[in-house]
Amino acid sequence: MIHIGKNTKSTVVSKGISAGHGQNTYRGQVKIQKGAKGARNYTQCDSLLIGDKCGAHTFPYIEVQNASARMEHEASTSKIGEDQIFYLRQRGLSAEEAVSMIINGFCKQVFRELPMEFAVEAQKLLSISLEGSVG
Amino acid sequence: MAILEIKDLHANVQNHEILKGVNLTINAGEVHSIMGPNGSGKSTLAQVLARREAYEVTRGQVLLNGKDLLAMKAEEAACEGLFMAFQYPVEIPGISNAYFLRAALNAIRKYRGEEELDAMDFLPLLKEKMRLLEMDERFLNRPVNEGFSGGEKKRNEIVQMAVLEPKMAILDETDSGLDIDALKIVAKGVNAMRSPDRAILVVTHYQRLLDYIVPDLVHVLVDGRIVKSGGKELALELEDKGYGWAEPASAGR
Repeated sequence: MIHIGKNTKSTVVSKGISAGHGQNTYRGQVKIQKGAKGARNYTQCDSLLIGDKCGAHTFPYIEVQNASARMEHEASTSKIGEDQIFYLRQRGLSAEEAVSMIINGFCKQVFRELPMEFAVEAQKLLSISLEGSVG
Repeated sequence: MAILEIKDLHANVQNHEILKGVNLTINAGEVHSIMGPNGSGKSTLAQVLARREAYEVTRGQVLLNGKDLLAMKAEEAACEGLFMAFQYPVEIPGISNAYFLRAALNAIRKYRGEEELDAMDFLPLLKEKMRLLEMDERFLNRPVNEGFSGGEKKRNEIVQMAVLEPKMAILDETDSGLDIDALKIVAKGVNAMRSPDRAILVVTHYQRLLDYIVPDLVHVLVDGRIVKSGGKELALELEDKGYGWAEPASAGR
């Protein structure tokens, strides 16, 4: 994300999911140039871990050449909890349906910005690639 | 007809024996209450019945509508008509209450070979149940339990119960953390669920809830066993004399 003009605003939302032995890394650069007075950026990195052998890493690169800019970076890591899965199973969903629902909820913030066709594809892709990753 | 039959149930949590031979039969149309001090095994019993895997059953038998409950997974038990209102309802970020409940109801309907409900049929049903529990319609689109107050979470549990219409409903300390107004609303919701073909088990510490949900039978659970059973007056007596009174002298503390 490169800010050139005055009072420009940007938001970066990253959602990473790690399952099995997977590791996911966010590297993102936000650059505020000299002329970009009053620029604002908000960056949010959320990671979801499935299982206890995976990990998530966040490396934000922030380059600011203008003192009037305002930058925010937020990162969170959460794990699909046994209690969440049990809650959904107690209501009648299978373990796989429960995990897929929790993951969809996690990605909702990004999915809802996508055009319908992409959102449907993305959802399907997620459920395929995570098939069988939860014991 | 018995909805739930528990015979000599023993269960461990992390190799520690919590339930030491529970016997209990609940018939259709009945409301039973289990009371007991902290650590007596009340919640463990509820969790075992809901088939949480961390709880290991070492002995005994449990029948749900004549079927072997202990052979079922959590979701099978739910589809067979067992519902537990959680003591600590869990948050599911990003998933709306309405979406979650429709998925749950349809999973159960599918299991029973019934047609699934689409959103158009489902919404009026959910709204009706939410009115009963005096929950604002904005809860339809809020993520499941996220940012709900303690009272709202508990009311949401009862909304779910009303939508899923279980045969056997277990309320695990549903009164904890409720103020008196919320308690009355929850009780109203539960009472509206009383029916000749449904059984309800209310797990609680305090007699207060039983003023509003009047049970047919009260059982006192101490140290993993039911040590006393009686009518609703037993709850009042307990309130008066404390749990120590109900404990058998042979417990030898």
